[in-house]
Amino acid sequence: MSGLIQLTPVDLLVATVLVIAAGLVSLAMRLDIEKRLALSAVRTVVQLGLVGLILERVFALRRPTLVFVSLVVMIIFAGREASSRSNRAYRGMRWDTLLAMGATCLVVGAVVTQVVVGVQPWYDPQYVIPLLGMILGNSLNGVSLCLDRLLEHLSVRRHEIELRLVFGATRSEALREPIRAAIRTGMIPVTNMMAAAGIVALPGMMTGQILAGAPPMQAVAYQIVIMFTLAAANAMGSMLIATAAARRLVAADGRLKAES
Amino acid sequence: MAILLRCGPLSAEDGEGRELYASVTVSLDEENLTVLEGPSGGGKSTLLRQVAGLAPAKRVTRELGGRRWGENELPDWRSQVTLLMQDAPVIPGSVLENLSFPYLLGSAGGRAFDNERAGRLLEEVGLGTIAIDRPASTLSGGERHRLALVRALLWEAPVLLADEPLSGLDGPRASRCFDLLREHARRPGHAVLCVLHDPSMGRATDRRLCLEPEGLTAK
Repeated sequence: MSGLIQLTPVDLLVATVLVIAAGLVSLAMRLDIEKRLALSAVRTVVQLGLVGLILERVFALRRPTLVFVSLVVMIIFAGREASSRSNRAYRGMRWDTLLAMGATCLVVGAVVTQVVVGVQPWYDPQYVIPLLGMILGNSLNGVSLCLDRLLEHLSVRRHEIELRLVFGATRSEALREPIRAAIRTGMIPVTNMMAAAGIVALPGMMTGQILAGAPPMQAVAYQIVIMFTLAAANAMGSMLIATAAARRLVAADGRLKAES
Repeated sequence: MAILLRCGPLSAEDGEGRELYASVTVSLDEENLTVLEGPSGGGKSTLLRQVAGLAPAKRVTRELGGRRWGENELPDWRSQVTLLMQDAPVIPGSVLENLSFPYLLGSAGGRAFDNERAGRLLEEVGLGTIAIDRPASTLSGGERHRLALVRALLWEAPVLLADEPLSGLDGPRASRCFDLLREHARRPGHAVLCVLHDPSMGRATDRRLCLEPEGLTAK
């Protein structure tokens, strides 16, 4: 990592010129996104700055409880974000997204950090936090897309579900297609990302490692691990949220509860 | 004549909490076509959905052919007491898939889709010229209602609950479809309860019931 070029506050200011240029384009073309762009840029600086400070502290202390607390906070925020992204809502949705994100993050995260990468000690924050952060960030997309699609199906296409019910379909038979379609939708971002990896763009983690001076093949190996991990996380997160939402919104006999 | 189906007591309110009907028990005689009448917005569709087990109903006794059915048997009940839905929805797929999907469900038991009979029924309702591989979503409203009727008749459920099955059909076609429903109802072990858009057609029926806030009365 000796080749790493250190960035100074001046470099960050120069980069700010780029985002200002984007804002000027918005003003010139009346896109009306300059305020949103400015707010997002400020949020990026504040949020990442805070994360940087917290991570430096967590990395320096290297305590398992601190790593665990950081993960719990990350899971709570991810669960909240996944439910707030959906256009529709139901009672208990936040608990379901929290459960889906938490279970996905812990199960897939445990496999990748403990079995695949073999992190030593098991809680080493330098590996555990960024890897689980990537899992959360990506499965968040999958979970919210999957949930949105399922809720839309249950609302807009409820007659199709009832059509199966009137011929004696059980709950699982009536929901098979809506759940399948929702999981498929939740998996789209990760399958697209895997298909385009290396051809359309170099994935973020690999780019970061190469910039930090890692040998390209090592960066590729990490990226492959991450992509397969994200595929598993998206699949698991989507399956969990679709099942949890369906069980909450559809009675055991298949009747859609929204009618009651 | 033996009672084939008994379901009740059923109560329902509209969206504003106004009582539509209370403690109504539906009973259907075997080999009978019963027409359900009543004021518009009076809850006829809700009553049919409750009998079919699609709309919620508390502490209801359901009996079919002398046997009492429990709450945990609702999917099986629905396969025997089948609702022809008012807006005749279709599932994504072809006309053939829309006719045959019920036979892929566990409730079909050993039943198999009868291709030959499906062809005959499609012919009778005036859909004989429609390609069976045509996407069902491209059918008109009237064509969807006739497709739904054919599917329901093929399924051979002991009880059919038909909610305005003749909507969007012209005179002769509506007449033929009504005849098919009546023929189905008058077979041993069968009964049909039907809500009709055109009340004049209800005169050619075995029994007429009227749903009013006071209850269900024979006419």
